[in-house]
Amino acid sequence: MKKQPYLLATVALIVASAFTFIQSQDWKIANGYSVKFDAGDPTGEFTGLKGTIQFDEKNLAGSKFDVSLDATTINTGNGMKNTHAKGANWFDVEKYPTIVFTSSTISKTSSGFEAKGTLDLHGVKKEIVMPFTLVNNTFAGNMEVNRLDFNLDDGKHPNMPTAVKIALSVPVTK
Amino acid sequence: MTKTILFQSTISGILAAIAANIYDRIYYFATEIDYSNIINPVSLIGYNLMVSLIAGLLYWLLTSFFKKRGAIIFNFVYSVGSFACVIIPISITLPLTTPFPELFPGLAVPMVFFPVIAWMTIDPLFKKGIN
Repeated sequence: MKKQPYLLATVALIVASAFTFIQSQDWKIANGYSVKFDAGDPTGEFTGLKGTIQFDEKNLAGSKFDVSLDATTINTGNGMKNTHAKGANWFDVEKYPTIVFTSSTISKTSSGFEAKGTLDLHGVKKEIVMPFTLVNNTFAGNMEVNRLDFNLDDGKHPNMPTAVKIALSVPVTK
Repeated sequence: MTKTILFQSTISGILAAIAANIYDRIYYFATEIDYSNIINPVSLIGYNLMVSLIAGLLYWLLTSFFKKRGAIIFNFVYSVGSFACVIIPISITLPLTTPFPELFPGLAVPMVFFPVIAWMTIDPLFKKGIN
C-alpha cells in the first residue's frame, strides 16, 4: 500500500511524458503565396516569404509562426514608387531588409484562429494580433496595421490612410 | 479634314507603329523582360494610329482657324504635348504580375515621341498638297 503513491506517480509521469511526443505539424510554404497590402495609393505586394510554420489545431499551445518577408521585394506595380518605398523615408530596406513576425500564442476564435506575436518592421517591434484560417492547406488572413506605429511616414502624404490593410494567402504543404 | 491630312495621319501612324514595334523587339532582346501583357504589336498599332489621327484632326482644326500659322502652332502643341505625355508611362501602375516595373519607362517613354517624330519626318512631303 505504501508503494501505491510511487506507482501512481510513475504512471502519471509515463502518461505525462507521452504528451512530449505530441508535436505540432510542420508546414512548408508552397509557391503561389501572396502577401498584399492596400494603403489606398499605393497598393502592392511582397514576395520573399520564408520561415517556419508549426501549426496543429489540436495542439495550439505547441503551434508557432516564425516567418519573415524580404522587404526589398516590395512591388507596387510602379518602378518609381518601388524605389521610393524602399528608400530611407519609408521601409529603408538597406537598414531593415526583413520584416519578421514571431508568434507567442495561437488561439481559436469563432471564425478561425488568431496568432498574437511580435511584428518587427522598420526597426520597431510591436505586439499585433493576426487572425487567420486554414482551409484546404492554405493559411489566409486579413488584418490592419497602423503604419505610424512602425514610423512608416515621410510626412509628405497626409492623405494616405494610417491603417494599411494586409491580405495573406499562404498555401502550405507538409 | 482633308484627304491629304488623313493620308498624312495614317502614314505617320503606320511609320510610328513600325518604329515602336522594332524598338519593342530591341528592348526585349536587351532586357529579356516581357511586357507583352501591356505593350504588344496590336496595341502599338492601335495607339500610334489613334494618336496620329487625333493629331491630324488637330492639325486640320488649327490650319482651318489660323491658316498658315496653324502649322506652327500645331508643331508646338504636338511637341509639347508629346513631351508632357512622358509622365504617363512613368506614373502608370502595372499589374503586380509584371516583372521589373522599374524598367517599363525605358520601353514606353521613347515610344511616346514616335508619332510626333513620324509626323514631322513626312510633313515636308505633304506641304505642297496642303498649301
